[in-house]
Amino acid sequence: MAEQTPQPEERTERTGPRTEPRDAAHWARYTERIRVPGVPGSAPNVEGRRMVGPLQGFGKMWQKTYKTRLGGVSVAPVEVVETLKERFPEISGFGKGFRMPDGGLVPGAVALLGGLSGVVVLYADEESFTYMTPEGHPFSGWITFSSYADEDGATVAQAQLLIRANDPIYELMMPLGLHKIEDRTWQRTLGRVAAHFGADGRIETRITCVDPKRQWRQCKNVRHNALVLSALHAVSTPLRWIRRQATGPSKNARTRNPTKGGTP
Amino acid sequence: MNAETEDLPGALHALRCEFEGIREIKRTRRSEMPQAQITMDVRRVSAKVSVVDVKGELTAFAEGVLMDAYGQASEGGVRGIVMNFEGLEYMNSSGIGLLVTLLIRVNREKQKLLIYGLSDHYQSIFQITRLDDAIAIHDSEEDAVKAAST
Repeated sequence: MAEQTPQPEERTERTGPRTEPRDAAHWARYTERIRVPGVPGSAPNVEGRRMVGPLQGFGKMWQKTYKTRLGGVSVAPVEVVETLKERFPEISGFGKGFRMPDGGLVPGAVALLGGLSGVVVLYADEESFTYMTPEGHPFSGWITFSSYADEDGATVAQAQLLIRANDPIYELMMPLGLHKIEDRTWQRTLGRVAAHFGADGRIETRITCVDPKRQWRQCKNVRHNALVLSALHAVSTPLRWIRRQATGPSKNARTRNPTKGGTP
Repeated sequence: MNAETEDLPGALHALRCEFEGIREIKRTRRSEMPQAQITMDVRRVSAKVSVVDVKGELTAFAEGVLMDAYGQASEGGVRGIVMNFEGLEYMNSSGIGLLVTLLIRVNREKQKLLIYGLSDHYQSIFQITRLDDAIAIHDSEEDAVKAAST
């Protein structure tokens, strides 16, 4: 965990003991809905959505832990997390599909994933950071990347997920390949972390079903399903084009999208 | 080094010294490893309700302490577990994860989990992580115990 920033003594004398908790700067601020800075309409599956944790999803709850021991390499946990934060698109394999927020992976920042969905940085300190997912994402939950020294003093890089499938469609997809994709993504990520620091990159995976019950009351989450909404949007594109041709250019559309010359 | 090792031939002696050196480094690193900076005292306030007083830092290292406290608080058919967070000094995302797994365990045992004593800062963390959807947050111990008893 991050060290507390030393406070000037004179301030302590004047104002008394500090009431601000040490972790205050590490957490995202509460907002009811996610706001994506930049071009309006560029992230329809994220903008205006609520964040969802493992308690809001539909499917079974899983805790997945992937870790790699950077044995024989002299690297501090802080350095591992800093590298992951700075080079996340490349190390995770998402590449350009992962749009880094302008200010980096700081608490409250929103990163977009291939135009389909995104994640919000819920928590970030020197030795860990956590993403939380929005409504419509395949999973509802948290993904935490951290690094620590094990009992033999070797640095360990770890990714830990606490997730449920967000809705019944994603839950159906879990045994049909979604589990495997998720496992491979984070195993490869940690493999790349190990390779970056010159370690052998053997990955240890531990998967636990924390809650085998499905939350049927969350069936309604399907209305936000990013895959379904994006597919519907794509299918209806010709219809929207025909309508535009028939009615002429929409003033509203031009106003909403400043990149097409609308009124700011 | 004892007398036995001093009698060893040169190369073996050097090897033995190196081995002792590595053991010493490992001992030092182990003592420097982060430990749970938290205590959880359990009080039985009624036949059906226990209160857990949390003091310190809720991080991944608190897992053992939290689960031990839960085990102790559940003894004797307790139906309500009330957690007092007045002494909470630090919490990270792993700490929040521990609360989720505790909640699942409590629900599985058909018990209730209630919380009081959260500062404004930690209340907002419960909001953003949406734990407040699933865990009842109360202003005082009296309210929480009353709700746990019903």
